[in-house]
Amino acid sequence: MADELQMPFASRRTVSRPLVQTPRVRLNLERVQPFLYLLPALVLVFIWVYRPLIEIVGLSFNQWNLLPTSPKTPVGWANYQLVLGLPEIHRALLNTLVYTLGLLPFSIVIPIVIAIFTYGIRGRASTLYRAIIFTPVIIAPVVVTVLWRWILHPYSGVVNKGLQNLFGLAPINFMGDPLLMIPTITFITGWGLVGFCTLIFASSLTNINRDYLEAAAIDGANYWQIIRRVMLPLLSPSILFVTLLTVLFSSQWTFVHINILSLSSFRATTSNIYTVLYDYGFRSFNIGISSASAVLMFIGFGAIAIIFLWLQNRFSFYDS
Amino acid sequence: MIGVQTKSTASRLIGHALIIGLCLLVAFPLYWMLVTSVRPSSDFFNISLFPTGFTLEHYQYVLSNLPFGRLFLNTAAMASARTLAQVLTALLAAYAFARWNFVGKRFLFAMFTFTWLVPQQVTMIPNYVLVSQLGWLNALAGLIVPSMVSTFALFLLFQQIKGFPQDLFDAARVDGGSSWMILWQVLVPNLRAVIASLAILQFISAWNDYFWPLLVSNRMETGVLQLGLQAFFTQEGDLWGPMMAAATLTALPIFVVYVILQRQVVDSFIKSGLR
Repeated sequence: MADELQMPFASRRTVSRPLVQTPRVRLNLERVQPFLYLLPALVLVFIWVYRPLIEIVGLSFNQWNLLPTSPKTPVGWANYQLVLGLPEIHRALLNTLVYTLGLLPFSIVIPIVIAIFTYGIRGRASTLYRAIIFTPVIIAPVVVTVLWRWILHPYSGVVNKGLQNLFGLAPINFMGDPLLMIPTITFITGWGLVGFCTLIFASSLTNINRDYLEAAAIDGANYWQIIRRVMLPLLSPSILFVTLLTVLFSSQWTFVHINILSLSSFRATTSNIYTVLYDYGFRSFNIGISSASAVLMFIGFGAIAIIFLWLQNRFSFYDS
Repeated sequence: MIGVQTKSTASRLIGHALIIGLCLLVAFPLYWMLVTSVRPSSDFFNISLFPTGFTLEHYQYVLSNLPFGRLFLNTAAMASARTLAQVLTALLAAYAFARWNFVGKRFLFAMFTFTWLVPQQVTMIPNYVLVSQLGWLNALAGLIVPSMVSTFALFLLFQQIKGFPQDLFDAARVDGGSSWMILWQVLVPNLRAVIASLAILQFISAWNDYFWPLLVSNRMETGVLQLGLQAFFTQEGDLWGPMMAAATLTALPIFVVYVILQRQVVDSFIKSGLR
């Protein structure tokens, strides 16, 4: 603001006294300065995010097979029409919904229950618990897939052997039975998520002013009432936020497990929107279909994010 | 006060029980991975929960069947370069946003915020094409350059620099320091702890990255650990001892970092989740 007000004055001065050039040059440098600092990040974001975002729209109106030598053929809206009618895409959308809903217990329900019950646990025990339940976050997703493949192995895995020894159950093929694959992949993903989300809720609970809880207790509220009437409403911004994360990122989180566990068989059974995008793009090289789906998905997720932001402004209770 | 405390005694026991259950659910698979990786083949179908015997044969098998050293070096190079670049570009941009008011500031800030909504799967095809035109397929540059900027790092540093007392900038300015000198001599030394934990976070996520390497590298010599592990899994699927040894080796470097710095890592991850 101050800079803008000074600007006309400075230039008038340079007109009347042309020999004094320095203030003007310095002023310009000052103005350019922030842009120089921004330049590297801006250039990179433009090249690797905005350029491809624009290009993908163009590609979605063409037919192409990713080969540099073969031409792109304009096909109008045909790709979009195809995408909307493809059973593979419908299946993937449905699966995405199932994965997302299946992850909510791991990202919302279990974490909130544990965070509430462990509220007030402090000191060494709490540091140790935190350190342990956080571990899956730092373990590479590929390692997680391979690890659970072994634990849930139908014949030699520890879970099936345990079930067999304890209850005499027949081996359960968690990763080979089409009906069990989605629940299994959801569980593995949830395993990686539950500790992190618990810590998010625990941390927002500790940020809640204790006075509210004490006031409620003095007013004669019992433990359940405190949970329902005080803790949950105060947690609502975090609940909304973690729900948004789950909705937007569930496909990203499940991608690795689906891609590795269903390399060829069960691909269609377990697919989510990202695996179909990947398959159309890099396995069957149908760039038009992949791009059109990408554009639609981007619009869909954008709409969801806007709805969530609106909800957040509308319904969240803030502890001010 | 008394009310809250006494009423939670029973619930506190439930709390401990629940969280210990969760700890076991989390820790057991990792423990099982380690135990399997050192269990002698002769003993393999033993499912005793405790180690029976000790062998490094599986590790030897992995090291002789997978170019582990190569993959390790590639991954370390990729993760370090990405981290360095992300911290640097974010630091410069965050400094600009936090210190100056300039034309288009809100627009540019929104431009960075918006990237949060653009998943990699949307941009993958054009980015793959560009990387291949540049001749960077199966090259370190292809793994590094597209990830040299991180909006998350930018926002984290922006919050920190904004919370910095303006007086310090002014004092340094009066002393005749240029903005560049102020950045490196005043700001960076004071942000050392934040930058360190940010760097750890970015290093971990780069080390564990799977999706982008999957697209741009398909050879062992130029690949990263995550892809090596996947290849090993598809080829040697049922050799579980070596499999678990390879998984352990892949996770180990990050795990060691985590054990040493767990407090900072957990804190900064959670802060990142909350913002």
